[in-house]
Amino acid sequence: MTTQKPKNEVAVVKSLRTVLRGPTKTALLYSRARVRKWFAEEATLIQWGEMSSPLGRLFAAVNERGLCALEFGRQESEFLQRFDNRTRLKKDPKAVERVLAQLREYFAGDRSNFNLPVDISQLTPFQRSVLDVACRIAPGQVWTYQRIAEELGRPRASRPVGGALAHNPIPIVIPCHRVVASDGSLGGYSGGSGLKAKRWLLRLEGAL
Amino acid sequence: MALRFEELIERHHDEIFAYLWRLMGNDGRRDAATDVEDLTQNVFLRAYDSFAGLRPNSNHRAWLYKIATHCAYTQLRRMKHRRDKLSSLKHSPTEPAMASDDSSSRKYIERRVRTLVNVLPVKQKACFALRYLQDLDYPEIAQILGCSQESARANVYQAIRHLRLALEEEK
Repeated sequence: MTTQKPKNEVAVVKSLRTVLRGPTKTALLYSRARVRKWFAEEATLIQWGEMSSPLGRLFAAVNERGLCALEFGRQESEFLQRFDNRTRLKKDPKAVERVLAQLREYFAGDRSNFNLPVDISQLTPFQRSVLDVACRIAPGQVWTYQRIAEELGRPRASRPVGGALAHNPIPIVIPCHRVVASDGSLGGYSGGSGLKAKRWLLRLEGAL
Repeated sequence: MALRFEELIERHHDEIFAYLWRLMGNDGRRDAATDVEDLTQNVFLRAYDSFAGLRPNSNHRAWLYKIATHCAYTQLRRMKHRRDKLSSLKHSPTEPAMASDDSSSRKYIERRVRTLVNVLPVKQKACFALRYLQDLDYPEIAQILGCSQESARANVYQAIRHLRLALEEEK
């Protein structure tokens, strides 16, 4: 076996680059189209849109099951960051038209309840059950964390109830702002500007 | 903002496809192209499955190349096994002897070089393809193949040396 250093390494590489040329344009196009098609079939499609609201810029997103995210008083990038990186995100105002129309009516004081399919399947069973109970609170009323815990048959779970409400992915539509502390204070709120937004919503509904 | 999977496809599909095309010794036949398509789709499928667990500041490109290399290794090993089985049955050389009428043709030389590249040890082949065909630098190659930069350099050197000697012998 020879240990001689290659003299014509550059020439060998050059000739190999020619022989082992890359794929044809057609082959690349075929493959790219195939991978894109597979991804379109595999990944969840999330369509989103935005509007301006009294609480700041408001973003809403729907998937095939219904409204899955709502956020206000945040930047677009912050809103989009909440979605799994493997989903397909598409800005599509038409897809969220119905949601935004109902929200406009709500902010104008012309609507108190929402008639929209929602998807909270990404939450735990406990979180879902808390949000289900919160949906039973009528506009203009407030319940305490304690009462929700009691409704669930877990009277000592008022703190976990607060935690579950903080994970509400669809504030306003699922009215977690109607839940307050037993001592009469507003408790917490993670939407938009926090307690300021909660107070604004409760005033709009005539609860304060 | 963290990289989304659809961006990963748009940014890196073409180079991963080209890498696999070269690694698999594709000669442009339609059925061979379909094999590389299958392999490419498999790479993105595997990437999709583990994408959620990837750290946002990871080198996504190197990670994708790593998966592609792994998929290609598996496929090449399978092909080699099949070839070995066939040649033990036939006892005949896989490459036909050089025909006198096309001895000087470019096509013959190209076919011969491709055959020589195809019989290189897979790691040498991968190192060579990553360095000189995909234009990656040694730190990235080392990361993709899970070896040191020195080992990557040595493999590229050995690949070129093998090919040069084989080509010189034929002259």
